[in-house]
Amino acid sequence: MQEGNLNIEPAIQLGPVVITNTVITTWVIMAAVWLLAWLASRSLREDPGSLQAASEGVVSAIEEAVEAVAPEHGRQIMPFVASLWVFLVIANLSGLIPGVHSPTRDLSATAGLAFLVFLSTHWFGIRIQGLRSYLRHYLTPSPILLPFHIISEITRTIALAVRLFGNMMSLEMAALLILLVAGFLAPVPILMLHIVEALVQAYIFGMLALIYVASSIQSQQLRQQKEV
Amino acid sequence: MELSWSTFILEIINFLVLVWILQRFLYKPVLEVIARRKAGIEQTLAESARIREDATALKAQYEARLADWDTERRAAREALARELEAQRAGKLVEMQADIAEEREKSRVSEARRQADIEHKLEETALDQAARFAKSLLQQASGPELEARLVEMVITELSQLPEERITALRKSYGTSPESIMVTSAYPLSDDRRQRLAQALQQATGSDAPMQMEQDADLLAGLRITRGPWVIGANLRDELEGFVTLTHDR
Repeated sequence: MQEGNLNIEPAIQLGPVVITNTVITTWVIMAAVWLLAWLASRSLREDPGSLQAASEGVVSAIEEAVEAVAPEHGRQIMPFVASLWVFLVIANLSGLIPGVHSPTRDLSATAGLAFLVFLSTHWFGIRIQGLRSYLRHYLTPSPILLPFHIISEITRTIALAVRLFGNMMSLEMAALLILLVAGFLAPVPILMLHIVEALVQAYIFGMLALIYVASSIQSQQLRQQKEV
Repeated sequence: MELSWSTFILEIINFLVLVWILQRFLYKPVLEVIARRKAGIEQTLAESARIREDATALKAQYEARLADWDTERRAAREALARELEAQRAGKLVEMQADIAEEREKSRVSEARRQADIEHKLEETALDQAARFAKSLLQQASGPELEARLVEMVITELSQLPEERITALRKSYGTSPESIMVTSAYPLSDDRRQRLAQALQQATGSDAPMQMEQDADLLAGLRITRGPWVIGANLRDELEGFVTLTHDR
């Protein structure tokens, strides 16, 4: 791990489109996930094997977590939230592979994911409650709070992006600094911390996204129930 | 810490593609197989519930049948008890009748046995009495007693009434060649002659009289005329006495 590796380096330049190593790592992760998903689902049986049992366990656990937060619309938002968890776990842990940088230590990637969370919050809210009903919640309990609602939406999205980026980048930087100062085997405890931190950050990002989406749906439902 | 718009947009697209991939190749098939398994489990549970309901119904039916059987069993037992009581009472009556009959038989048998014992005792006493009398008469007998007996026979024969003599003579049938007279002691000629005359008078026959001596007669005479025998001696009298007692 060298100092230059902390920077986001362009790998391919296609006119105005710059493909960085973050994007390439993401593609590799996508390919790996696709291959794994295909292997797990190509011969599903009532009597599951070990790979099918593991995939069923992961999917069931995520579905239960989503259903616990949004019981009425869990099936609709589960693919998005579950994909966030799956991608972030793999992406965060990919930094442990020598020569590979985690995509989540790139602010552009975390900002893209946070922006998707921002869009999905409104998308699910409008899709389930309708546009007028959804937009009305910005004016409740008082229209005076509209600016605060807008600021809240923007800041929490920025916070999502920066939190994940900052944690993952700081982890890699700390490991690099310890490696430079103490030697080759010293960063091992830091790498263990990296595993825990990667899982925790993936969980926090996905859970916050789930809470944002669920709150955008259920706040409208609560308001409608009060009006009824 | 630069924000690359290309990376930003590509990451958004990448993630949306990833969501589609996972939805297409993982979530949908896995959730479908889980749903199928849940449906199978629910079907199994429903089947189990139905089987359980059937089992409950069968159990209730079985318990009702057991209750019916118990009722029938109690009724049969009561009927059996009544029948046994009736049979017992009947048997008791029969047994009491049998006991009474056996008691009567035993009483009759005991009475008969007692009578037999008394009879045997009486016979024994008579035998003893006869032996005693015989012994006594053997010691007391002698020519004098025989003389008196001979005289008594001669007197009796001489004083027989006419109708008795007639009946006696009819009973003799054809006249024998001789009349056998047995005595315990020798008779004197005078008595022998008078006896012959008395016999001729009683029988109306002149058959000769043959004399014979037998000490077993103790004293007295035995007159034998064919099948007709007159015992006028102590032995025949004692035997007649004993025979009469036995025949009684």
